[in-house]
Amino acid sequence: MSASAEDEEIGPSIDSADPEERIAARRLRITKRLEQLRRAQLGEDDAANKDVKEELSISRKQMEESRHRLLRLVEDGYELVTNIRDATDAREGEWRTDEDEIKRQRKDRLDAEAKSGSEKFDEITKKWESALQKEIPQDLQEMLTQQKSACDAMIDEKNKLITDFQLELKSKDDQYVKDLKRQAEDIDLIIERMDEQVKELTRAYREELGEIETAFVAERSELLEANMNRWKAGVQSRLDKELDYLSTREKRVDDYEDQLRHLRVQDAEEYNMVKIKLETDVQILQQQLQQMKATYQLNQEKLEYNFQVLRKRDEENTITKSQQKRKITRLQDVLTNMRIKLAKQEKQYKEENQQLTDDYKRITEQFKEIQHKSMHFMATDQKKFHEIWLMNEEECKELVKKLLEEERVIYEQQLGLPWTAPDLAFTENVGPITNTRFKKSAISAHQVAQEAFSVTLAPHSDRSFHDEGGSDRPINSTIFTKYSPKLVKQILELLGDEAGFLIESKLNKLLAPLERDERCLMRLDAIFTALSVDTEDDIYLLAGYFINHGLQKPSAARPSSVQESTQNEPQTDRSEKTEKSERDDKQLAPEDRDTDREVDKVTGSREDETDAESTKVAPHGDKWSMFDLIHPNEVYKALRQFVEDHREPPKTNTKHTQFSIAMLDDRDNTEDATYWATYPAVLSDNTEKVWDALVEGLEKYNELVTSRSTLITETDALRQQNAELRMLLHQYVNSRVNQELEIPPTRVLQLELNPPH
Amino acid sequence: MTSMENIKPDVGGMSALSSTLVGDKSASKMSSHSAVSEKKSSSEAANRVPSPTDKDKDNPAADTRNMRRIIAEDPEWSLAIVPTLVELCIKHLVVNFEHNSKVLHDLEPKHKVMLLEKISTDIPLKVTALLVDDEGYWKRCCKARWQICDVSAYGRSWKRMYFERHLQRIIEQFVPETTDSTELTETLPLCSGFVRKLDIRQLLPPVREAPKMGAEDDISEADASDTMEGPEIDHFDFGAVLPSLPYIEELSIVYGVHDAGMNFEWNLFQFTARDCLLLAKCVAACKTLRVFRLNRSKVDDDKVRVLISHLLDHPSITMLDLSHNIIGDRGARAIGKFLNNHSQLTELNIYDNNIRVAGAQAIAHALTKNTLLTKLDMRLNRLGDEGGQAICRALLKNTTLSELNLGSNELSEPTAAMLSQVVVQNTALRSVELSCNRLGPDGGKQLQEGMEENDTITYLDLRLTEVGQESEYCINQILHQNRERARAKRLRISIPSKGSPSPSQSVGA
Repeated sequence: MSASAEDEEIGPSIDSADPEERIAARRLRITKRLEQLRRAQLGEDDAANKDVKEELSISRKQMEESRHRLLRLVEDGYELVTNIRDATDAREGEWRTDEDEIKRQRKDRLDAEAKSGSEKFDEITKKWESALQKEIPQDLQEMLTQQKSACDAMIDEKNKLITDFQLELKSKDDQYVKDLKRQAEDIDLIIERMDEQVKELTRAYREELGEIETAFVAERSELLEANMNRWKAGVQSRLDKELDYLSTREKRVDDYEDQLRHLRVQDAEEYNMVKIKLETDVQILQQQLQQMKATYQLNQEKLEYNFQVLRKRDEENTITKSQQKRKITRLQDVLTNMRIKLAKQEKQYKEENQQLTDDYKRITEQFKEIQHKSMHFMATDQKKFHEIWLMNEEECKELVKKLLEEERVIYEQQLGLPWTAPDLAFTENVGPITNTRFKKSAISAHQVAQEAFSVTLAPHSDRSFHDEGGSDRPINSTIFTKYSPKLVKQILELLGDEAGFLIESKLNKLLAPLERDERCLMRLDAIFTALSVDTEDDIYLLAGYFINHGLQKPSAARPSSVQESTQNEPQTDRSEKTEKSERDDKQLAPEDRDTDREVDKVTGSREDETDAESTKVAPHGDKWSMFDLIHPNEVYKALRQFVEDHREPPKTNTKHTQFSIAMLDDRDNTEDATYWATYPAVLSDNTEKVWDALVEGLEKYNELVTSRSTLITETDALRQQNAELRMLLHQYVNSRVNQELEIPPTRVLQLELNPPH
Repeated sequence: MTSMENIKPDVGGMSALSSTLVGDKSASKMSSHSAVSEKKSSSEAANRVPSPTDKDKDNPAADTRNMRRIIAEDPEWSLAIVPTLVELCIKHLVVNFEHNSKVLHDLEPKHKVMLLEKISTDIPLKVTALLVDDEGYWKRCCKARWQICDVSAYGRSWKRMYFERHLQRIIEQFVPETTDSTELTETLPLCSGFVRKLDIRQLLPPVREAPKMGAEDDISEADASDTMEGPEIDHFDFGAVLPSLPYIEELSIVYGVHDAGMNFEWNLFQFTARDCLLLAKCVAACKTLRVFRLNRSKVDDDKVRVLISHLLDHPSITMLDLSHNIIGDRGARAIGKFLNNHSQLTELNIYDNNIRVAGAQAIAHALTKNTLLTKLDMRLNRLGDEGGQAICRALLKNTTLSELNLGSNELSEPTAAMLSQVVVQNTALRSVELSCNRLGPDGGKQLQEGMEENDTITYLDLRLTEVGQESEYCINQILHQNRERARAKRLRISIPSKGSPSPSQSVGA
């Protein structure tokens, strides 16, 4: 543990900053752990091996020994060989150190030499300086010889050194050669040793191999012997066992044989008994078998027959099945065809529809255009009419004026009578005659309804509604002359309640917040449009339907109401029936039936009120009290009747209302004739007769005068002629030509004039 | 036999007709003979057989065309000596292989083998290099060229061996500025696909004034002085070779002359700065190189620095061998830097250099950080005790180094004491060599104490260390135990699945 702790101290630590060092540390730790594990294992192994060791086989021992011996040999050989190298290395090392030493000595010696040399040189050079000062040649000579000897000594010294070094070099050379030789020897030695080693090793290997072989052989033979012994012992024991077994078996066989004999005798007896019994059994069973066979045959035949029948049926079934299948396929074909056709036709009809709607649009447009045109033409026509009227009127007036003037002239001048002017008031009229009295038909059903309600509102405060209503409203509906407003209101209320199905459901929602009367009004309006009731007359007609029913069976209605009060059940039954009938009738709006039913229920309660009212009204002695309203349940029938009767007219009416062309025919032209007749009536018959007689007389007078005038003109002409002729005659007579002629014309003339008459 | 004599033998037309007339014995021989010589005619002959026999009876010599032609029986004739057509063809191909080598691809495999067995080993490489892959041929080539051929050193490939040695020879014989480089340039592309390893044992310097290897002994001195003064002489430039060898993995170079003999000159063994620079550059550029050796080349500190500065962060070099040089402390410092996680080195060999204390300290420092190096050989340096202690201290931290050689390094007792600590703590070390160091008996005892707690070191060399016999014996015992344990572990790893431990493990004390 201490060692490992030290390791950790010295080695890389895990806490180090350097990542590589940390990795190294971890690795170290892991290797340490592994090492410990391994050591532990090894220890165990060693312990285990010690036990096993004694049992080691000869061959193993031999192998181990051989291995050790060989290993030792190899190691020894390697050592032997490398010894030489080591020796040389050591020598080399020693030599190097020696060499260093020698080198150092040499250097020292050289340095010392150089030092002494330089000293001597300095000395010599100094002496040279003193030599210059010497005057005496002997001295100089002596000096020079001294110098020379010193130089020689120095040179000698140097030379000695050189020779020393050269000697050393030579010795080194010798040493080198020796070394070379020695190295060669060493190499030879190494080679020799290697060879020896190889030889020895091969020999050793061979020996060891042989020994191992013999060891193996020995081991093998030993093993063989041991095994053989074991084998033999086994065989012997088996043989003994076999013999024992044989003897026991023989004994047993004898026993069994005795037993068998005994058993056989017993069994033979038993066998005989059983045999007899079984034979009888067999006979019985055979009989049964015969019977069974007979029944079996019968059954078989039956089943065969059945089988045949079933097969036939099966065939038939298959045939019919196939037929059915074929039919199904055919029908499916047809179905698909029909579908295709249907789709085609749908498409076609859609197209047609589209076309027709287009046409319709076009036509409506055309129609509007025409309407527009007709409006225009109408306006122009009216204008023209007006103008023509004015023109004619003026002409007539003028003519009248003229006529009257002439008459006055005739009376005053011709007849000498006093003239009185006739009445000319009509001439004051200008333009076409207009009549305001025709506007009575313009009152709409809506107004009537409104009126009826407004009228009935008033009576709540005052009973004398009629007079007041009449005074209040100048445009009073004519209907009120026929029916009392109260009645009308009742009728209308009934209509509004009962004919709710005619109103659109949307409208109902919209009307919810309004007051009752207003709501009634709006509903009535909608119902009227649905029934195409536009005018007062229509309302009148409608009311007639309501009341007529009442009139037709007043006795029937009343008892029924009485019955209603007394017996509710039959009434409800009937109402249900009527409802049913209604249902049949009401194909138009089936959704509204439910609402109707509710309405019925509500009105059912109201019926009593109305009945009570009607009963109340009756005693009042109103002139309309004799009109009795129909029962609310009958309203539907009445409406239906009304619609059926007026189905066509409403349609046209609607068209007319759409057109709303104020034709000229609408104008009342009855007065026109009288108007225009007043003009000729200015002159009376008497005056006319006078005028006729006057004309006659004047004509006669005229005739006479004219004849006289003609005669006058005749005489005048003759006179003139006479004069002319006289002149001519005069001319002729007096002319020279007469003379020239043989017979003068005068003569002739004379002759002629003087005929023989 | 007599009847045959008057019929003249027709050597040229060895037609099959003859076979019908020859006796039973020779017939078989002849037929086989004819079948060999002319295979085509045999079928025709079979058709023609009956007609001549009929005519022969009438007049054998009437028609020359149908005349019997019989070869005299040659008792010495044997089928074995007659070469088959295939053989003839192959013989011809062999003769003309140099000019028509493309035919090789069209041959059947067995014929190819026959051809390759026969062609000459002198055929130019240009023809065979890319064409022939057969090992047998290259084996013959190698055997013909060199006496000693250890193919196991070349990945068991004769072809590779041939090309590598061929290229080595060319480079070793190359004299710069004088040798024609055409041979080299021609060979290089041929070799490029096969060369994995180059082991250059000598590099010749360029010749000055006189032929280098000449017998002019008298000039050599002058020559030496000349070269010392003049510009430095550069050797072969590997920049021309290495880039064109894409598969090269090992490179061993010696800048020096092998077998100089009596022509020894100092300048023959000069490794110039320019050489160094060029070499360093081209080695740095060669990314496939795994092993680089530069031995016996007088590599000094400056050159080592140049080399290392180029090799820094080289992606593939795993082994560097600079043994037998004169690297000093500064160079060792450069190597230390190289080791300091700037390389993929697993093996470093600086055997026999001049590294002293400072260098050892630099390398020791590098070792504390290095996690790849497994082998370090510093034998025959001069580390001294201080250097040895530095290295031992580094080993206390290092966990990868498994083999260490500190033989002949002037180590002594203090180092032994230090090492005993290392031995106790370090579990990575497997082999330590301390031979030829004066450790002394005390150092031996300390080591022995250390070793008693160690169970991983399997080899510890203490020869010539004066440690005393007793401790040496004890240490050897411990080593033996460790070895056995390591062996047991190895066995267990190799047979891990066996439940019961095999008895061979149980080799106790």
